Amino acid sequence: MAEKQKLSKRLRRKRLGKRLGNVYAVLVYAFIYIPIAIMVLFSFNSQKHNYYFESFTTEWYVKLFTHSDLWEYLVNSLIVAIAATAISIVIGVLGAMGLKRFEFKLKQVISNSLYIPIVIPEVVLGISLLMLFEMAHLPLGLGAMILAHATFCIPFVVIIMRGRMSGMDMSIEEASQDLGANRVTTFFRITLPLLIPGIMSSAFMSFTLSIDDVIISNFVSGPYSTTLPIKILSMVKVGLKPDVNALTTVMVAVLVLGILINSVVQALWKKRASTNIKTYF
Amino acid sequence: MSDGKVTLAAGGRRPGIRGKMPIFATAGPVSFWMIIFVMLPLIYVFVISFMTRTQYGGIEYSFTFDNYKEILNPLYLKVIWKSLKLAFLTTVICLVVGYPLAYWIASKPSKLAAKLLMLVMIPYWTSSLVRLFSINLLVMPNGLLNAFLLKLHLISEPLDILYSDGVVMLGLLVAMLPFSVLPLYSSIEKMDKSLIEASKDLGANAVTTFRKVTIPQTMPGIVGCTLLVFIPSLGMYYVPEMLGGGKVMLVGTLVKNQFLVTKNWPFGASLAILLILITLAMLWLYTRIGKLDDLEVC
Amino acid sequence: MKRAKKLIAVALIGVMALAFTACGGGSSNDNGEVNIYMWSEYISSDVISAFEEETGITVNMSYMSTSEEAAAKITSGGGSEYDIVMPCDADMTGLIEGGYLEEMNLDNIPNWENLGDAYKNREFDPDNKYAMPYLMNYVYVVYNKETCPVEITKYEDLLDPQLKGQIASVTGQRNLFPIALVALGYDPNSTDEGEIGEAYEWLQKLMPNIAGLDSDSAETMLINGAASVGFFFDGQAARAFEEMGTDKLAVAKLTDPIQLGVDEMVIPKDAKNKENAEKFLNYILDADNCAANLQGMMEEYGSYYTCPNSAAVEKMPTEYKEAPAIDIPQNMKDNYFLQLDVGDAAKVYDSYWTKLMSEEQ
Repeated sequence: MAEKQKLSKRLRRKRLGKRLGNVYAVLVYAFIYIPIAIMVLFSFNSQKHNYYFESFTTEWYVKLFTHSDLWEYLVNSLIVAIAATAISIVIGVLGAMGLKRFEFKLKQVISNSLYIPIVIPEVVLGISLLMLFEMAHLPLGLGAMILAHATFCIPFVVIIMRGRMSGMDMSIEEASQDLGANRVTTFFRITLPLLIPGIMSSAFMSFTLSIDDVIISNFVSGPYSTTLPIKILSMVKVGLKPDVNALTTVMVAVLVLGILINSVVQALWKKRASTNIKTYF
Repeated sequence: MSDGKVTLAAGGRRPGIRGKMPIFATAGPVSFWMIIFVMLPLIYVFVISFMTRTQYGGIEYSFTFDNYKEILNPLYLKVIWKSLKLAFLTTVICLVVGYPLAYWIASKPSKLAAKLLMLVMIPYWTSSLVRLFSINLLVMPNGLLNAFLLKLHLISEPLDILYSDGVVMLGLLVAMLPFSVLPLYSSIEKMDKSLIEASKDLGANAVTTFRKVTIPQTMPGIVGCTLLVFIPSLGMYYVPEMLGGGKVMLVGTLVKNQFLVTKNWPFGASLAILLILITLAMLWLYTRIGKLDDLEVC
Repeated sequence: MKRAKKLIAVALIGVMALAFTACGGGSSNDNGEVNIYMWSEYISSDVISAFEEETGITVNMSYMSTSEEAAAKITSGGGSEYDIVMPCDADMTGLIEGGYLEEMNLDNIPNWENLGDAYKNREFDPDNKYAMPYLMNYVYVVYNKETCPVEITKYEDLLDPQLKGQIASVTGQRNLFPIALVALGYDPNSTDEGEIGEAYEWLQKLMPNIAGLDSDSAETMLINGAASVGFFFDGQAARAFEEMGTDKLAVAKLTDPIQLGVDEMVIPKDAKNKENAEKFLNYILDADNCAANLQGMMEEYGSYYTCPNSAAVEKMPTEYKEAPAIDIPQNMKDNYFLQLDVGDAAKVYDSYWTKLMSEEQ
């Protein structure tokens, strides 16, 4: 009896904890999205410079979808972020394996140098990369930006992946090789699938770092390579206009809707799947 | 690069060129990249940190220690100290706010959790400048927050919170939170949940269980969170500058001014080198104290 | 195993090649192109299209974030990627002395004659070889007629304790130290350590009165009522006037000299399309085109800028000439000072600025 009471008490407490957890999570999400909400609101502002909210209008969206060069800058941002993320993932994942498993002369130096791009002030990294590219006669622009972004993304990938790998059971790889698979087959068939979650979160991190970078981008950008953050930073001097808000609103809306639709579809799929099963039995 | 001078770990792997192949294939690219794009620029910065500024802001190639002597000026030490304090505070707040959220997300099924994590990150795919402007607009004397509070009769006259320390702190939290949630989430998710049940079954209360089981189990995430939040916060100047009304001097701004405004690259370079050394020393201490053989994040 | 290495190598090379080719998306117009690196929304897009139509040259815009950053790009050698860059006059001495700029051929730019006399044969560029002024900014004081408690006629008035937390100001050592130096009766570009030290003490007294320092959008504070006095560029004042009107806002009649900053168009060393750049400069310096540009920016962005091209200004309608931010008393316009290179004293300014900014307010 007493045992049962204790159990139900724990259950009740657990339920309460769950409810509190939900309330907390909603609050934090609300907090994160407050600036976004303001941004969305001001995208409907009739005032040109967004000093305060004047009255409701959709003219900025009309402008955005009829004639706006902001899309061009968004595309540049996406090119840089996707390419830099891809390079960082390939080099970072391989690098994490190499640094985790093998011993070689420069290992300690390379390991430590990974922290430099994270630690160094952005202005200094930007200027020194600019000097490097100039010395190497590399044209400034999207290419140089991709190289620069990969430079500060790779360390994050290596660090994240190394952490993931240390929790991994390596015996399964050895088993694969014992069964006659070579290293490459083992890598693609065994190791890579195990690393997918880590790769996803590294890619996430790299993309996030790259898409919002402006300080380093500014130094290594050239003709034909204006990204959205560069344009926005330059616009600040004359006042940000609501069309920037409109574009970011569209971006956020597409992403959030994407997630929601995905969830709904999955839920429906599940439901159908379960009803199908029911009809069978 | 790892050219030929490769030594293998003892562990039964075959030596010789065929044995070195995996090292080249894996560690080669990252070594190459780090040497070209990180070590070379770093050497350049290190070299100019011993040079002198010319009259018009160029670099005169004559060796001197003056830049490092200059840093010892209490003025600059004060700026560095202030930045360290702010970075520390940001880290603590991110940890305190981020941990419960990460825990909550980790308690959800993995597919839903992935989406919830996405929702944390999405705001960061929009321009941080636009977000900071939004915060400023929110807290203006005739901004939305005051209008809202006045309408509800919660306050009788507008709050004067524009450019206050509280708003700066809020901005830092908004800026750094995802960097704390990601590593925390992955270590909480990896944690062995049965240990918590076991601890409770053994009669430990929630606080003890949390202190004795959950925290040690999720230590890698806490370390990761600390690193990913602390280090970037140290060099950040955008948020305090924009939300603090521009009346603060942090080490990020100081370095930026040396390179761009004063055009005293040698002094800026020596500040950057010092900053790198301080952070690396802290990293080293951190791994020593935490008894971590590697810095495991996420 | 060999195949594996090859595969990885190929993949890597592929990704890197992609990275490099991604930057080569230039346009192919018969008469080539001109790459301009300047502020966003600082030129009328109609004028750009008209230039492209008339000359067959494609204009390619890139945007800078600060004039210091533009100067840093030129000095590191990155300037050669562009044909026209827009640093400010304060950076000119360093850029010219360092040999970072291409000499212009004035025969190709006959329209430079349209510039006002004050903007020809300047001290840093006596033969007009290196820089063409584009637009410019006065830095002066505006105040809210309803809420500002004091009358401001000189910089000293800004120290009045009644203005506590009331001034929205531009930031930067070379914007704030000069007004302190002027208030103390010194040269605004002083290189004397003692004088700069006194100016620092003057600014210490000013700091409690500052609501916020922001070179980009200080006018927001005035428009939103967070400040009653603004110390900023005339372009910002123009936007404040648009929102607040002349009933609420006025330009303070200062007897002290005010700062004038000029945005210069320069051709960086080794620019690839120097001739096209000169064609563009000549086009924009033409009185009609320059007037069209000013007009275009008024309509497109609602911005008003002071212009050194006197022939163009004459052609402007009264709406521009009498705009409250532009139409300041002639004696104020004549009584200006420029930001000059202070040489080694830059370090002195910087350390006092750091000191000022790291004090608790």
